[in-house]
Amino acid sequence: MTPRVKRNLLTTGRVLLLALFLLGVLLPIYWMAVTSFKPHAEVINAQNITYFPQTFTLENYNQLFSMYDYGQMIKNSLIVSSSTGLVVTLLSILGGYALARYNFRGKSSMLLFFLITQMIPGILVIIPLFILFTNAKIINTHLSLFLFYLVTNLPFCVITMRSFFERIPYTLEEAASVDGCTKWQTLFRIVLPVMFPGIVAVFVFAFIGAWNELIAGTIFINTPDMWTVPVGLKSLIGKYDVKWGVLMAGGILALLPTAIMFAVMQRFVVEGLTAGAVKG
Amino acid sequence: MDTTLLIFLLVVVVLFVIGFLLLRHYEKQNNNAARRLKLAAQPYAFIGPVLILLLLAFGWPLINSFIMAFQNYKLTAPNAIRFNGLDNFQKLFDDSDIWLIITNSFVYVIVSVLGQFLLGMILALALRRKFRGRGVYQALVFLPWAFSAFVIGLIFRWSFNGEYGVINDLLVKMGLITEKIAWLGTPGLSLLVVILAMIWMGVPFFAIMILAALQSIPADVYEAADMDGCGPIRRYFAITLPYIKPTIIMTLLLRTIWIFNSFDLIVVITGGGPANFSQTLPSYMYTKAFSSYDFGLAAALGVLLIVILGVYAVFFLRVTKYNKAGDF
Amino acid sequence: MFRKLLAILLVLMLTVPMALVSAESVSLRFIDVSPSPARQEYFEKTFAKFKEETGITVNYESVPWDDAANKLTVLGTSNQLPDVMTTWAGWLGQFTSAGWVRPLSPYTKGTEDQYADTVTKLVWKGENELYGDTYTVPDGMMVKGVFVRKDWAAEEGLDLDPHKGWTYAQYFDAVYKLTNKEKNGYGTSFRGARGAFDPLFVYLQSFTGGKAYADDGKALFNSPECVAAYKTWNDLYLNSAAPKDAINWGFIEMVDNFTGGLTGTLINDSEVAATCIANMKDDQWMVMPMPKSDVDGKIYNTVNSPYAYSISTHSKHPDEAWKLIEFLTRPDNNIEYCKLTGLIPIRKEVGDDPFYGPDGYYATFMQQINDPAMVVPCAFGPFSYTDMHQGMMHEEMQKYLLGRQDAETSLNNVAKELETRMIDYLAANPGSKVEQPKGLSD
Repeated sequence: MTPRVKRNLLTTGRVLLLALFLLGVLLPIYWMAVTSFKPHAEVINAQNITYFPQTFTLENYNQLFSMYDYGQMIKNSLIVSSSTGLVVTLLSILGGYALARYNFRGKSSMLLFFLITQMIPGILVIIPLFILFTNAKIINTHLSLFLFYLVTNLPFCVITMRSFFERIPYTLEEAASVDGCTKWQTLFRIVLPVMFPGIVAVFVFAFIGAWNELIAGTIFINTPDMWTVPVGLKSLIGKYDVKWGVLMAGGILALLPTAIMFAVMQRFVVEGLTAGAVKG
Repeated sequence: MDTTLLIFLLVVVVLFVIGFLLLRHYEKQNNNAARRLKLAAQPYAFIGPVLILLLLAFGWPLINSFIMAFQNYKLTAPNAIRFNGLDNFQKLFDDSDIWLIITNSFVYVIVSVLGQFLLGMILALALRRKFRGRGVYQALVFLPWAFSAFVIGLIFRWSFNGEYGVINDLLVKMGLITEKIAWLGTPGLSLLVVILAMIWMGVPFFAIMILAALQSIPADVYEAADMDGCGPIRRYFAITLPYIKPTIIMTLLLRTIWIFNSFDLIVVITGGGPANFSQTLPSYMYTKAFSSYDFGLAAALGVLLIVILGVYAVFFLRVTKYNKAGDF
Repeated sequence: MFRKLLAILLVLMLTVPMALVSAESVSLRFIDVSPSPARQEYFEKTFAKFKEETGITVNYESVPWDDAANKLTVLGTSNQLPDVMTTWAGWLGQFTSAGWVRPLSPYTKGTEDQYADTVTKLVWKGENELYGDTYTVPDGMMVKGVFVRKDWAAEEGLDLDPHKGWTYAQYFDAVYKLTNKEKNGYGTSFRGARGAFDPLFVYLQSFTGGKAYADDGKALFNSPECVAAYKTWNDLYLNSAAPKDAINWGFIEMVDNFTGGLTGTLINDSEVAATCIANMKDDQWMVMPMPKSDVDGKIYNTVNSPYAYSISTHSKHPDEAWKLIEFLTRPDNNIEYCKLTGLIPIRKEVGDDPFYGPDGYYATFMQQINDPAMVVPCAFGPFSYTDMHQGMMHEEMQKYLLGRQDAETSLNNVAKELETRMIDYLAANPGSKVEQPKGLSD
C-alpha cells in the first residue's frame, strides 16, 4: 500500500465515521422535529407511522405560545443559566488553580469532600436548602435557582478545571516568573490563554447543567411566570393527557438557544491556541 | 431578572476586583515576612470561596444524613424518631430482587461509561483536524447534550415503543425483523434501551472535554515526534494519551459517579421494568425510601452510596496513579 | 480600607435582598398540582371574584403533576405547605399520618345535605372510615368506565348496550373478539406497569363482595377464587389480547394506544373522555359501564375526585382557607370548573348542561353513579402504601407475566405485605375498624 492510498483510506474512514455520528445524533432530533409538525391524531396513530407529516401543521407551536408564556420561560432559563455559567467558571478557575498548583494542608480531604457532594442523593440536600431559602425569603426567585445550580455545579467544574491546569506544564509558569512576572500576571497572561478551550468547556458544562435541571426548578419555584423551560415542558405531561406534539415543539424550541451557544462556543473549544501563543 | 440576583452578581464581580487589587497590592510589597505569609495563604484564598459555598450548602445535609441513616426517621411517624442501629441498612438489602438490581447497576454503569468514553474519544480524534464545515458539524453533533434527561427519556420511550414506536417500524421496513420487538417489555432489552439513551446523551460531553484537552497540546511536541519518525498509533499512545490523561481520569471518575447516581432516564423510560429488570440500586431504593416517607432509609441509601463510590474513587485514583499524572 | 469596603459589601449582600422583599398583607397561598393554562385561567379568574367578595387575596402556585408529590413532601417537611392544596386521594394516607392536613368536619358539619350523595355517602364516609375524619372537599367526581371502539364492536357483531351493561365474562369475551392481529388490532389496553394493580384490585373484590380485609385484618383477595380471577385477568396479556409491549405500559401508553387505534377497549376514569372527544370521531368510541360481578351482579367501581381541596396544618388562616374552598365549590363555580375539566359536579344541582344529560358524553358515567347496584369496593388501606404502588404491586404481576413465578406466589406476596400493614395498623390504632364497601343505597 502506498502512503497515498493509505491516506485516502484513512480520510474515507474518517468521513464515514463522522457521517455515522451525525446520523445517530440527528435521527432522534429529526423525529422530534417531524412530530412537532404533526397533528395529534397523526402522532398517536399506531397503524400508520409517517416519516413526514401527512398534514403539516404549526398548531403545536401556536398552542405552545398561546398556552404558555414560553418566551418568559426561555428568558428565565437564560438568566439563571448564564449567571450560573459565569460565576461557576470564575470560581472554578481560582479553585482549580489552587488545587493544581499548590500543596497545602487539607487538600486531599477537600478533594474528597468535593467528590462526596456528588454522591449524596439530591433530595437530601434540597430539603435543608429549601428551609434556608425560605427563611431568607428568596423562594420563587432567580437567585434561589442560581445559588442551587452554583453549588451543585461547582465541585465538578473545580475538579475539571484542576485537570486542565495540570496539563499545562509548570515550566511555562516558571519561565514566566523568571522573566519577572507576578503570579497573577502569569495566571492571566500565560496560563489562562493556553487553557481557554477548557474554560469554555467548563462554562458550557455549568450552563447546560443549569439549563436542563428540573427538580430544583419545581421545588424552589412556585409560580408559572418564574418557571424555567424544563418545568414548563414537564407540565405538558398531565395525569390524564400527554401533549406529544406540543412537547416536541417545546423541546425543539428549547434547543435553539443552546444550539446557538454551541455554534459560537465550539470555535473556542476546538481551535484552541496555536503553539505560537504558548511560546509568546 | 430579579434585583436580588443582579445584586448578587454585582457583589461577586466586585469581590473579584477587590481580590485582584489585594493581590496586586501584596505582590508589590517586598517585605519578606509578609511574602511568606502570603505564599502560605494563597491557595486558601483561591479556593476559599468555593469551599465556603460548598460547606454552607452540603455540610449540614451530609452530617444530618449520617445521623438519620441510623435512626427510625419516618415522616409518617413524627413521634417515633429514635436511633435504631443498622435497621435501615438491613431493610435496604431485605429484598428478593437485590442481586438482580446490583447486577443491573453494574452493567448499566460500566456499559454506559465505556460507551460514552470510547465514542466520545473517537469523535474527538476525528474532529481534531480541520476540515471544511467543521464548525457546523460540531454545533450539530454536540446537540444531544443540550437536551434535558426527561425529554431524551420520552423520545426513547416513545421511539422504542413496541407498537407505535418508530424503531420497530424502521426495522420491519428494512426487513431486519419480521415480528415486532417488545423493547421495553423484555428483560435485558429494556435495560439496553436505557443504556443507549444514556450513551446518546453523554457522548458529546466526553467529546468536548477530550477535544478541549487535545487542543491545548502544544504543536511543537508533535513536530518533535514527527522528526523522530513516530507512526500515528505510537504517537497516540506516547504523546496524546499521556497529555490528556488527567482530564480523562477526572472525567471518567466524575461521570461514573454521576451516571451511577442518575436515574431520571430509568424512571422516564422503563420505570425499572419489567419486573425490576432495568432497575438500579439508587433508582430502586430511592423510590422505595422516598415514596414511603422513610427518610432514615433514604439517608442510609445516601451513606451506602457514599461508601461504595468513595471506595471506588480512592481505588480508581490509586490505580490510575492520578497524583502522578500531572508530571511529565 | 479594603477590609472596610469588604465589610460593607458583605452587609449589603445580606441585607439588601431581605429589604427588597416587601411586607406581605394577609393572603392565602393556593397550590394546583396539575396545572394547565385553562385551569390556571379558571383559578385566577375565580380568585379575583373571591377577592371582590371577601377582600382576601389568593396567590396561585403550581407544580407539574409528575413532580407534585416530591414538591409537597419538601414543603411538608419544611412546614411550608400552602393554605389550600389540591390533593390526590392516594396521598391522604401519608398526609394524615404525617399530620399535614387539617380535619374539615368542624366546617362541613351540618352542610352535608348540599352535596351530592357521591360526596357524602362515598368519599367522606370513606375518609372517615380510613382516617377518622373528613379531610378533603372533592373538586369534582369521576368514576371508571370501559371505553370501547364502537366501530370495531359493530364489525364483530357485538351487541353492546350501556343501559343493559355487561358482566365480566361478557367483557373478557368481547376483548378476545376485538382482537384481530391481521388488522394489527388488540382487544384491550392492558396495563402492566405502574398502576396495573388498581383495576385488577377492583376485579378481585368483585369476588369478595367488595371487601379487601376480614375484620381481623386478614386479606380476602387472595382466596382460591381470587387466584383464579387473577389468572383470568392476566390471561388477557398471556393470550395476546394485548401487545407484548403492554407489560411496560403505564397510563400514557394505554390511552395513546386506544385513541391511536391499536386497542379495542380501555378501562379508565371518566376524565379520559376529554381525550377521546379531542382525538377520535364520535362514531369510533362509546362508553360501557364497568362490568358486573360474575358472583353477585353488582357493579364494583371506584368513585374519586382527581384533585380534591384540602387545608394544610401549616395554614395560619384556616377559616379564610375554608371560605376559599366553599367559594370554589359553590354550585356556579363548581359547575363551570367541572365542565372545563370533564368532571361530575359535587353539588346536588348539576345544572341543565346537555354534557351531563342522557345523550351527552357523560351519560354512562352519570348512569353508574345513580345506579343502586353500584358498590365502591375498599381501598388498599388506611396506611401508607405508595411505595408498594410504585413498585411491588405491579412488579409481582410482571414476574408472573414473564413466567418467573406462578400466579399464587405473585398475588400472595402482595396480599401478605398489605395484610401485615393492615394488622399492624389495627394494633397501633385501637378502636379502628376495617373499611367496608359502600353503596349509594346504604
